[in-house]
Amino acid sequence: MEGSVSIHRHTAAPFHEYLLQGSVVDNSCDVLLNRLRGLCDNAENDYESFHDHELVFALRSSTAQNNHNQQVYFRVRHSLKAPNAPWHLRYVGQAEVGDKTRHTLVRTYVDVSTSDNVVTFLNEMGFRLDYEYVIKGYFFHKGRMKVTVSKIFRMLQPNNVENLEPLSLSYLVELTVVAPAGQELIQDDMKNFAEQLKPLVQLEKIDHRRITMM
Amino acid sequence: MRSKRRILSQFFIVSNFSMMKIEHEYSSITWPNVLDNFALLSGQLNSLSRLLKSEKIPPLKNYVLLPLALSPDKDLDLEKLTEGRLMIFNHEVVPVYLRTKPEPEVEEKFTELTCRVGISAHDNPQSYMVYSQGKAIKTENMLVEDATVTRKQLNTLNKITSNILDIINSARDEWESEANQKSAQPQTSSMADTNSLIQAITVGKGLKQPTPRRSENSHQNNNNVNSQQQSQKAPQSATISKAPSTIKTNIKAGSANHPYQRS
Repeated sequence: MEGSVSIHRHTAAPFHEYLLQGSVVDNSCDVLLNRLRGLCDNAENDYESFHDHELVFALRSSTAQNNHNQQVYFRVRHSLKAPNAPWHLRYVGQAEVGDKTRHTLVRTYVDVSTSDNVVTFLNEMGFRLDYEYVIKGYFFHKGRMKVTVSKIFRMLQPNNVENLEPLSLSYLVELTVVAPAGQELIQDDMKNFAEQLKPLVQLEKIDHRRITMM
Repeated sequence: MRSKRRILSQFFIVSNFSMMKIEHEYSSITWPNVLDNFALLSGQLNSLSRLLKSEKIPPLKNYVLLPLALSPDKDLDLEKLTEGRLMIFNHEVVPVYLRTKPEPEVEEKFTELTCRVGISAHDNPQSYMVYSQGKAIKTENMLVEDATVTRKQLNTLNKITSNILDIINSARDEWESEANQKSAQPQTSSMADTNSLIQAITVGKGLKQPTPRRSENSHQNNNNVNSQQQSQKAPQSATISKAPSTIKTNIKAGSANHPYQRS
């Protein structure tokens, strides 16, 4: 699923990811998929699915063991459906909530394609695996906007992507746009799109700092 | 009167316009557009009926329409104006088209019936006499008979009405409870789930393995590697030089083997 954004990888300009998040319970997922299929591009085709394994690596500083803000997280992702596809190394910054004039979360976003030995490389660099999960779902495009409807699975044994347990009874729904810094207008489009999915899904900017403290 | 005329003309303009749009631009017209037009139409219909109902406006039947000119010839303008429905404006069509009240016989019958209904509702034979004076055929006996019949009918009607009222009420109750259920039902998303999912993917809450999984072996291994690295690259980056300390803390927690660990 990350292939679509990997085209940005050669450019030096800082990219921002605009983000809205929500969830939908399993029972209503089909309704949501149908609606998204109607709203998004390529309505005539079946929606595309993905099945990825994501590993999150952290580089801890010795002084701040338990402070997440002081850690650097790198996310490695690879598809379980297409083993030959390139792996991805992704950095996402802390999501900024901003004020009321902003409709979405904004965070820095860097995404590079890598070979499959990126994990070894990260270990060499001093990164350690913090957690991993399997993410499975569907994605849609509407112009520059990307919508993912995904189920998060907990892995019961390390590195066993077969032995899974769903994390919750809901699908995570994310509406994202990756754009160069300064393109604030896209937030309006995203807000309008999110309005169209109500009341099925409430796509909102959710303050990550607030909920991680809970 | 002027406002009525304005509303009427607006109504016709909009309705014609939307009909034309639907007929000719059905391929390009969008739903929101169509709905907008319908909203306009219904709004105008509403204000029109409000105007007609208001006290100030006398019933339409009190107006008289006078044809100013009749002609047996075909009128092209008229044909165009009525979209081909009416071609000639002559003595034959005028009474039909310009009629504002029913024919005299019909009207007479209508008023008579209205009177009778009014009487029986009030059940007042005296005024009945007054109203039916013109006919003057009814005897006292017939009047009494009429009254009892009316009373019977009234009773039946009352019974039926109350029955219907009951049915409607119960139907409404059902309806409302159903609607309540429906509005209560669609809980399609849950804030708690949203939060737990976001926490999981951002900080790994609920995803981190409960058992520590790094083996001591690999740690020592790593330690070596890292110290080598350190000696090579130490001046380059402070973050890298910090790595070994991370590993020291990991040793305490170490056990089991992880696939992405170097072995």
